[in-house]
Amino acid sequence: MEEYRKSMAPQIKELKFTLRRIKRSPLSIVGIVIILGFSCMALLAPVLAPPVYTDPMAIWRDSFKNEPRPPGSPVLRTDIGLLAMEKGYTVHLWGTAAGSYDIYYGCIWGTITAFRIGLVVTAVALTVGLIIGMISGYYGGVIDEVMMRFTDIIFAFPGLVLCMALVVALPGGISLDLSLFVFAAIIFIAVSLIGPLVLKISGGISVLTGFICSLVFVVLDLYVLHRPPLWAYYIPLNKLDKSLMALTIVGWPGYARLIRGEVLRVKTEDYVEASKAVGCSDLRIMFRHILPNSLYPILITASLDIGGIVLLAAALSFLGLGADQGYADWGQMISYARNFVSVTMKYWYTFFIPGLFIFLFVLGWNLLGDAFRDILDPTLRRR
Amino acid sequence: MGLGAYVIRRLLLVIPTVIGVTALIFAVTMILSPETRAMIYIHDVKQLGAIKDIIAMYGLADPPHIQYFRWMQQVLSGNLGWGVTDNAPVLTSILRRLPSTIEIVLPSIPIIILVGIFFGVKAAVHQDRPLDHITRFWAIFGWSLPTFWLAIMLLAIFYGWLGWFPPGVNGMPLGSHSVQYVTATWRDAQGQIHYNWTRYTGFYTIDGLLNGQPGITVDAIKHLVLPTMSLTIIQVALIIRVMRSSMLETLGKNYIITAKAKGLKNSEVINRHARRNALIPVATIAGMLTAGLLTGVIITETIYNIEGLGRWAAKAATGGFGGGTVDIPAVLGFAMFTCLVYVFANLIVDVLYAYLDPRIRLG
Repeated sequence: MEEYRKSMAPQIKELKFTLRRIKRSPLSIVGIVIILGFSCMALLAPVLAPPVYTDPMAIWRDSFKNEPRPPGSPVLRTDIGLLAMEKGYTVHLWGTAAGSYDIYYGCIWGTITAFRIGLVVTAVALTVGLIIGMISGYYGGVIDEVMMRFTDIIFAFPGLVLCMALVVALPGGISLDLSLFVFAAIIFIAVSLIGPLVLKISGGISVLTGFICSLVFVVLDLYVLHRPPLWAYYIPLNKLDKSLMALTIVGWPGYARLIRGEVLRVKTEDYVEASKAVGCSDLRIMFRHILPNSLYPILITASLDIGGIVLLAAALSFLGLGADQGYADWGQMISYARNFVSVTMKYWYTFFIPGLFIFLFVLGWNLLGDAFRDILDPTLRRR
Repeated sequence: MGLGAYVIRRLLLVIPTVIGVTALIFAVTMILSPETRAMIYIHDVKQLGAIKDIIAMYGLADPPHIQYFRWMQQVLSGNLGWGVTDNAPVLTSILRRLPSTIEIVLPSIPIIILVGIFFGVKAAVHQDRPLDHITRFWAIFGWSLPTFWLAIMLLAIFYGWLGWFPPGVNGMPLGSHSVQYVTATWRDAQGQIHYNWTRYTGFYTIDGLLNGQPGITVDAIKHLVLPTMSLTIIQVALIIRVMRSSMLETLGKNYIITAKAKGLKNSEVINRHARRNALIPVATIAGMLTAGLLTGVIITETIYNIEGLGRWAAKAATGGFGGGTVDIPAVLGFAMFTCLVYVFANLIVDVLYAYLDPRIRLG
């Protein structure tokens, strides 16, 4: 036990220093508090705003009137209004948006949507960017050039523009043939394993060959062989799914570039050379040595990005390219305000309250990301 | 290599980038099925039966690379398709709406850069003092604001409540196909209609003077204040942050300490030595600034009712705000135009960067 404590001593010291720096920086505490507040709101949503319909993401409404009503106006005794009154709603706490949707309910459950959008898109974009960036940075050469040209092309689009074009163009549903994926996976694994086990080629090259073989198989299968589909599966995509996909496609090049830069920086370090000399496989070097040392910039960018992605998603929803009407999403609620721009002061609650939620959420993540940068970045830590 | 060689090399790199960009946009179109793409050519329900003929006529089911070459030939000869949103060719729409967009974006750029640099330098010089905290807080605050929220709030305060700056610029009728000498009508703030208004440049501010009606120029400027403000407030936050951190890094360098040791005035050290070198990283993110402006323009124009490129793109992408079908040629035309602007902005930034920092050219 003593041995372990002694060997961990430097890491514990760094951790304590990190905690001390967090305590000393008021803005980072504000950021943490905001995010914790939103997390509690998201977790306690069923308690704070009991769902009225079977789908909790559907904002309840008490009539089909389009005109918004101010905060504090009572719930109308229509047949749909009575459904809400059964669950305990007597008054529209923060008023109604156009279409008589309750703003309070929409904002509380919108927190879950915001977290979902931010975390899902960032996680997927990060993973894809990580894999591509690491392969590209580690192996270099032609692979690197091709990947980087590809990211250049996506970088040539300002975010919202590409998102708009993609949401417009993405199909309403994807019909997949699952057998295609299964066969492709089998080919990939088979080729990747044949290499090191039978032919004694290095693992990296055979994985790459396996990947190329499975890609070739997919292309051949789709365009040349006309097999009847074995396990057909249809996934319908609604507008929110499409916007999530568009945001991911726009997001991954940033991470790929970032990680590639970090890999290039770390690759020349002595311990990486030592690992190669000892005979570590490429995969082990990438995930055990390079990745942990490149983690901090990735973390900082990811937390700043969550805010940025929620902003972009809200902008898409505002334009009408995000969630559908009646879905609990902050940007969606503000899109009603588009029609009332000329009488904004009268219906201020329709845009001010959801907008405030978006602003605070993004502010929290930005403060957190900034705090991480000041605290975790090794070059700025002990300034 | 000299600056000239660097510029030429950089210019040559633009060509593959533009090809890649157009290929990507084209790939996005190809995701749609031939039937969806044929819908663009259908203006009447009765034509629906002839979809197969339309597909054959326009070659919508040909292999992608053949369609790409055909499309590139069309694009290079100036035919970007027909936009349903404006009922005009896409290229005409772009050229006629471009001045309105430039009218809001152009004044924002110097404001953003100058205000950003000024406050960034001040914040770095007075580090950890109240001015620094206020500026940093403002930078994070401003960067977290949703563009549409800020725009609506500004509208509510300055127009709804105070009545100072009205939104929107009266759109000109887009009937004729000629771009330059369109006689339009202008209705000013008093509701009076002016005829015989010739669009010399398309900029209402300049055309007001050219048409001999300076009152319109003043009116147009009043209409422009709010959109410019909403674009500026958010982007200036980015410049402040980058300038501040780059200035802090520069102030720690050895040559600054030497300059102070030599006895130079503090203001001279900051203005003549530190600021120039701190500007270099700011030049690199000027590319991000362009992207931010292009994105912000879409939302700003939608809210302030300005008939510029952004509003056109928003209408096209959503099918007229919850009405008709999506106007695909318009969205793609806008995407391509935006990309080209962005690519050239990056080119200018790179050249500027090479000019400011000789190490880049020689490296």
